[in-house]
Amino acid sequence: MTGVLPSIETVIVISAFALIYMLVLLRKTLQAKFDLYDFLMLSMVAIIPAGFALFPKLAYLVSHLTGVVFPFVVMFGALFLVVFAFMHNITARLHRLERQNWALIQEQSLLTLELKARESGKTGA
Amino acid sequence: MTDMELDLTDTCRSGAAAPYVRASRILLVIPCYNEEASIGDLLDEIAATGRPYHTLVVDDGSSDATSAVASARSPVARLTQNLGIGGAVQTGIKYASRQDFDFCIQIDGDGQHDPREIETLLDAYALQPTNITIGSRFIDNAGFCSTRMRRAGIRLIARALNTLFAGGGLITDPTSGMRLLDRRAIAFFAKAYPMDFPEPISLAWAMRAGLTVGEVPVEMRARENGVSSIDGLKSVSYMIRVLGYILLARIARRS
Repeated sequence: MTGVLPSIETVIVISAFALIYMLVLLRKTLQAKFDLYDFLMLSMVAIIPAGFALFPKLAYLVSHLTGVVFPFVVMFGALFLVVFAFMHNITARLHRLERQNWALIQEQSLLTLELKARESGKTGA
Repeated sequence: MTDMELDLTDTCRSGAAAPYVRASRILLVIPCYNEEASIGDLLDEIAATGRPYHTLVVDDGSSDATSAVASARSPVARLTQNLGIGGAVQTGIKYASRQDFDFCIQIDGDGQHDPREIETLLDAYALQPTNITIGSRFIDNAGFCSTRMRRAGIRLIARALNTLFAGGGLITDPTSGMRLLDRRAIAFFAKAYPMDFPEPISLAWAMRAGLTVGEVPVEMRARENGVSSIDGLKSVSYMIRVLGYILLARIARRS
């Protein structure tokens, strides 16, 4: 079932990247620049390749079970899945923020108008 | 605020619903973006009608003196950022809802709509009340009727709305920016209003919710200042996207 296993150099490079990248993400999360969901989703870029490099037999098993010849195709497929899930969430959040921004700007203009009307002793238009 | 009082001639012409219309409070919502050259004249024209309409100019983040010119003649709601026509119109509708107006009439700030036609909308409502009354350029085909390409696009959008929704009469001018909303429509649009392509999409949303739509012929004037934001290839893109949104609104109704 297993084909070519990753070399020790590959494992070291991928593990080092995963470690450094996740430390950077962790720092940003602690600084409240990301929330836990962002941290987990962005971590997948490190976790998935590291998982495939550190556990090659498991990678081949997953590849075999999914009917895909090469494990790296499965890996990229999993990464794309995470990216799309993340993008989906970000798009929804962006749209919600846009709506809230819209409503806030409207409310601000209407409150200013009301304030002006009160200041000038008028009620309404 | 004073109540609207139509004179006797208008009441007679208005028919059965005339007493209600006579006692109504009417807000004219005028969305504007960089219309300093035309807004003053438009407000003067409204004042010259002699009707006690309430006006609200919604300045959609203009970079010129639109607010300054308008505020000398009317209350102005100034949006700090440009939200587009949908955001500006909904600001006016929210104002109408909170100030308890009976009717909210949208007219463009570029002076293309003749304020004397407001009476036509009110008369049409008095004769046959519908939640939304559109001032249509294409019933009589009088006055400025846009370019041939845009007319073809508008016909297609109208056909899509008429085919997919049943909201009363036949719609001929779904992109008209001159329309009357009654209390039910004001309450509906104060809660939700489309951000993109608001004129045709708002009709789809309204008809999906069971609101009725009617039309009355009006004449539109050509722009004297500024240029239209939808021209050339943009009008093709506009049409395709609007049709997509209308279809979405229809699917949402089915699900």
